[in-house]
Amino acid sequence: MTALLETRGVWQRFGGLVANSDVSISVGRGEIVGLIGPNGAGKSTLFNLIAGVLPPTQGSIWFDGEDVTHMPAAERCQRGVGRTFQVVKSFETMTVVDNVIVGALVRNTVMREARRKAHEVLEFTGLAGRADVLASDLVPAEKRRLEVARALATEPKLLLLDEVLTGLTPTEAQTGVALVRKVRDAGITVLMVEHVMEIVMPLVDRAIVLDLGKVLVEGKPADVVRDPKVISAYLGDRHAVGA
Amino acid sequence: MDKNFAARRRRDLIIAAVLAGLAALAPLFIKDVYVQNILILTLMYAALSQSWNILSGYCGQISLGHALYFGIGAYTTELLFTKFGVLPWFGMLGGGVIAALIAMGLGYPFFRLRGHYFVIATIVIAEIGLLLFQNWEWAGAAMGITVPIRGDSWLKFQFLRTKLPYFYFALALCCLAWFVTWWLEDSKWGFWWRAVKDNPEAAESLGVVVFNSKMGAAAVSAFLVAIGGAFYAQFLAYIDPESVMGFQFSLLMALPAVLGGIGTLWGPVLGAAILIPMTELTRSYIGGSGRGVDLIVYGALIVAISLALPRGLVSLFSRAKPKGATR
Repeated sequence: MTALLETRGVWQRFGGLVANSDVSISVGRGEIVGLIGPNGAGKSTLFNLIAGVLPPTQGSIWFDGEDVTHMPAAERCQRGVGRTFQVVKSFETMTVVDNVIVGALVRNTVMREARRKAHEVLEFTGLAGRADVLASDLVPAEKRRLEVARALATEPKLLLLDEVLTGLTPTEAQTGVALVRKVRDAGITVLMVEHVMEIVMPLVDRAIVLDLGKVLVEGKPADVVRDPKVISAYLGDRHAVGA
Repeated sequence: MDKNFAARRRRDLIIAAVLAGLAALAPLFIKDVYVQNILILTLMYAALSQSWNILSGYCGQISLGHALYFGIGAYTTELLFTKFGVLPWFGMLGGGVIAALIAMGLGYPFFRLRGHYFVIATIVIAEIGLLLFQNWEWAGAAMGITVPIRGDSWLKFQFLRTKLPYFYFALALCCLAWFVTWWLEDSKWGFWWRAVKDNPEAAESLGVVVFNSKMGAAAVSAFLVAIGGAFYAQFLAYIDPESVMGFQFSLLMALPAVLGGIGTLWGPVLGAAILIPMTELTRSYIGGSGRGVDLIVYGALIVAISLALPRGLVSLFSRAKPKGATR
């Protein structure tokens, strides 16, 4: 079976800065894939290219057997790409359930159905008790969860998670990890960007390490963390010598 | 929770029906023409502000150029009537459609602008419209158009002896604008608009086509405002560019909504109910006493209300309080 998501030789330049150079990755159906790398490795850029925020300078992006390189974000969402934002972008003047309804309207044209779907997703993500609260009144961890809930309401085939576990307390992070597992068990493929290795590694089936805009290493989490190239990218060459 | 929501929607509808019913009875008790006049203007501005609120309140695209659509409604109606003998009812609809098309035509380039730049563009465009009409000979230029009066007639929608038909039309228009808003509030469009207002980027990622949402809001908003313009032209029976397309109309559409509660269902009606009588009363009671005292008082009242209630007058009612507040 073909991969659900594939990037083929993707380049992204911002003026003189090369954020992504010749990145080719693929994500299979049902996988949880971690996209990791030190700060400035080009993770967020690649993520935005996949979500459709901007088209790549060069190369192509394929989703579900279709070339989506130049497809706008809204259309990608309709095809089944859901995403969260690293800096949360809740609809602050709307209630939690209304936030989620916006997502649910992608596949439900009747309001009553969209509302039912939204409540279902809130139940799934553990936000049911906060349904009628204004999004601006949520605590940070809940806002992260709302991002996930909103994206899930669009019934995606692929869920892109942008640092949803970063900056949470250990307990909150564990709840987050459990939620990601639940999402995968519901049959949704997950591609997650994180830079906190110790949280992501036990969770993902496969890790892709980016460094300086290129794919550095790709493989099973256990192998990736031992790879000298990864250690040197994260900690500097000195630490990699003994490995 | 769904039950609460449905109950609240139903309650809004009932309150609106009761208010409309009471308003319809008002002329039985109010025979004074001056007061009737104020009521008509209040209802008209409530309707206009409610329409403005669709684009600027719900969808968040602040327009200070809606006088353009108001004027287009007025001019379309009177030009069709005086030049081609088309009944005002058709002119009204025609004006609405033309205004909606122009709003979308203008939206095409201007919806790419954000925030203050969009506001400035709307002001400039409305001023250009005003200048065009002031110099358009066929449309009467600065002299304007006098509507020929041939006696009271529903067909021609003109009345000399009584103001009541105007009152009922303004009330109907106000109800229409309110009902359209009520209906859209719980629709895909309503949700899309609020999402676009709060965060266009997030909206886009959830499948909302931001550009189309703005276009839709602009069209509905302009259509209803133009109907109001057509009504105003018939009400005055005389129009010139300044009296139907002047900047003050753009302000008088925005102010009630802002004062009452921008992007809320009841804000525009509430704001207009206080603001418009206040405008008229300050003008007639202290307007003659000294230069601009009425405007000073008027301005001070607006400032006072905005300072005391930054979320608008609707926040006086418990429903508009932030729902997440612990107490």
